[in-house]
Amino acid sequence: MDAQQLMLFLSPTAPRRLRVIENILVGKRTVSTLYWGMRYQQLPWLGYEKQLSRDEMNRAVADLQSRGDVKLDQTNATLTPQGIQSWQNLMQGRYQPKYFSVRLVIDTATLWQRLLLATQVVSEQSYQNHQYYPLQVTWQVKQFIKHWFHRFHRQELQAEFNTFWTVFFTQLPEQQALLMSRMLVGHQRPGETLGQIAHDFKVSESEAKVIVTDLICQLAKRISDCEADSIKSLLMGLNQPLVSASAQQTLQSYLAGTTLEKISQQRSLKLSTVREHLLEAAIMLPKGQFDFQRVLQPELVAEMEKRLAKTPLDAWQFKQVEDLPIDFWQFRLLEILRSKSTDDNH
Amino acid sequence: MITTEQLYQALKQRFGFSQFRPGQLEALTALTGGHDTLAVLPTGAGKTLIYELYGVVTQQLVLIVSPLISLMQDQVTALNVKGEKRAAALTSLMTYPEKREILRHLAAYRYLFVSPEMLSQDQVLSAFQTTQVGLLVIDEAHCISTWGPDFRPEYLLLGRIRHQLNDPLTLMATATATKQVRNDIKQKLQLPQASEIVQPVDRPNIFLNVETFEARVDKDDRLIELVSSLKKPGVIYFSSKKKANEMAELLTAKTPCSVAAYHADLDPETRFKIQQQFMQDQLDVICATSAFGMGIDKNNVRFVVHYHVPSDLESYWQEIGRAGRDGQQSVAILLYQPGDEQIAQFLSEATVPQENEIHYYFQQAAPRVAGDDKANLIWFYKQHHFSEEQVQQSFAARRDQRLTALRKMMGYVRTPACKRQYIWQYFNQTAGDDEKPVHCCSSEEPAVDFATLGLLDTPAKRQKGDPINQRSAGWQFILQQLFNLNG
Ligand SMILES: [Zn+2]
Repeated sequence: MDAQQLMLFLSPTAPRRLRVIENILVGKRTVSTLYWGMRYQQLPWLGYEKQLSRDEMNRAVADLQSRGDVKLDQTNATLTPQGIQSWQNLMQGRYQPKYFSVRLVIDTATLWQRLLLATQVVSEQSYQNHQYYPLQVTWQVKQFIKHWFHRFHRQELQAEFNTFWTVFFTQLPEQQALLMSRMLVGHQRPGETLGQIAHDFKVSESEAKVIVTDLICQLAKRISDCEADSIKSLLMGLNQPLVSASAQQTLQSYLAGTTLEKISQQRSLKLSTVREHLLEAAIMLPKGQFDFQRVLQPELVAEMEKRLAKTPLDAWQFKQVEDLPIDFWQFRLLEILRSKSTDDNH
Repeated sequence: MITTEQLYQALKQRFGFSQFRPGQLEALTALTGGHDTLAVLPTGAGKTLIYELYGVVTQQLVLIVSPLISLMQDQVTALNVKGEKRAAALTSLMTYPEKREILRHLAAYRYLFVSPEMLSQDQVLSAFQTTQVGLLVIDEAHCISTWGPDFRPEYLLLGRIRHQLNDPLTLMATATATKQVRNDIKQKLQLPQASEIVQPVDRPNIFLNVETFEARVDKDDRLIELVSSLKKPGVIYFSSKKKANEMAELLTAKTPCSVAAYHADLDPETRFKIQQQFMQDQLDVICATSAFGMGIDKNNVRFVVHYHVPSDLESYWQEIGRAGRDGQQSVAILLYQPGDEQIAQFLSEATVPQENEIHYYFQQAAPRVAGDDKANLIWFYKQHHFSEEQVQQSFAARRDQRLTALRKMMGYVRTPACKRQYIWQYFNQTAGDDEKPVHCCSSEEPAVDFATLGLLDTPAKRQKGDPINQRSAGWQFILQQLFNLNG
């Protein structure tokens, strides 16, 4: 995380909550974080910097403040007029990820470890070399690639990998293909680090990381479409659900018509937890996969919308409707529905 | 009984050598004769060969206690590369099922690496109790003494753990230890009778150079000059990761060399890449932190520079020992600016709790607050039934010890007399002037000419593995190289 990276998560039109930005990057899946992450269109960045510390975050904020780009009101950050100018320059000049939503459904970090190690193993095999230092990866990845190699080593891995990478690189812009190829590790090629690549391509390390992550997301798509079993199997077990397994279970019962109280009893969960599960599902899943109407009766929605019509969504307050027979979570659900409807219309 | 002939045979078959290096055969003979042994062999003199060979000739489990995870992983990889598959490291990075998997199949391993913290866990210890440990190795044994009670106190439990493992034959190995440290190691491991194999610490092919600067900027300029002009590869040590990063950037910008930072914050992929680039001579200079070891041997390091004063001579000697393992002329340069010792003093005192802190934490019931190192440290002693008085005493002694160690280090920096003799004296060795190399130290040759030492870089010879060449290649070329498609 550096100042420029942080700047991109801010908005030229409204203040943004720094804690939301931080929690999304760290990967906290609380309903409030997910809701605001959705509003900021930052959900694809969920868990992008799991190691991000408060110190690092504060340094980036202080950096923007001292440049005069940002004003702070407690932990809400607003861009100054000068900041808006810098923001626009950044949006134009800096690489913007296009495939990050893949991160939400595939464990791309593990995929990269597997692919990098598999490429190294195949490279060394092409030279019939058996004595080399393998990449340091987690124990699980090491075991996976061991079994993988055992299964496929008799095939034409060398040709399959060469074809796979050639096809992938051919459809990329030349610079991106070059950048990614230089990350690869193999026989007498230790590969280059993110820092070295950033230096050579004259971008910051944080931008280089975004480019590489976006390329890995594209790789994930490419691999799932790949015909060679040897390569396709590298994805095995790496699909991840959009919502947590527990929330998924709650959602199933809900869609089957079970009442929330019943679900709470059956699963020995607090009623508030059941509601949070449903909110998580409503935020994360496409609009059509959640039954909003069961919770939001049309008459109630009409009444609420009448009162909220003149308020922009992000300024809605529960107290505007709290005398109506509704709970806060239903109010939030309406916010989610509204957010999804407007985004869809764009 | 294992004969000397068998040892030579194994040396030939396994390592392809026909001669032992000084100290190795003596240590192996003592061990195969059943004697617990403390071996002090200079860095690079092949301490690992001793226990590797012991495992080969006795076919027994060798359990190595080692301080750093990165070091352990490198050692396992090095064994794997040599074809030894029965090696593993039990580390805190493993999940519980992974650990259990290894502990259930201990008999399948010949070499197991473990940290003292891991070994003191009940579940791990009891697994090792059910198997026979042929040789217990305490690697970097000086840590027992130099780290002391303020850092990784589990080291102090090793004596007791050794008993719990049924007193296996033990090798304590280190590159540097004064007489006092040697006695301390043996005492803490409760092995007062252990045989000692001590090789002279001297490395005559390393010129010892200390340079003093008035201002930080002069020091930085000199570092840039040194890196530009000296024969590569080289290593520069810093006392913080931040400084190592900063200077790696500065040197990249100001010199034609390829330079990278190398420390514990790197992710494994980056660490691997930098390490391998350095091994394959594609990287000229590494900016490292002293806390981070590098487990892979590189023979041709020509210079080791210290940008900050280390906190003791043991660490210093250990770190400059990376230079010139091939026996060729090399240089160790310490860049000193008056006041630097305060950084060292701060760093070495920061971890030692003060009297009032010890008292405070002793009053607390169970303060296992995540991240509060000192609270956890004191808690460790409470849990192991130490009294507050004992702890106060041991930390008071510890503070004195750290101060004395730093004073000795500063003595080295300041002495106008021979640096080499200062080190000999510190490590309790006696040697005459006639044993000194022709080019010895900056006290004797204050304005040393690196050209005379043959240490100046000849720009023309940068060809093979030149990163610039590699980097101008297109992705098609890289794929050809990776998958051997040149034919
Ligand atoms: Zn001298």
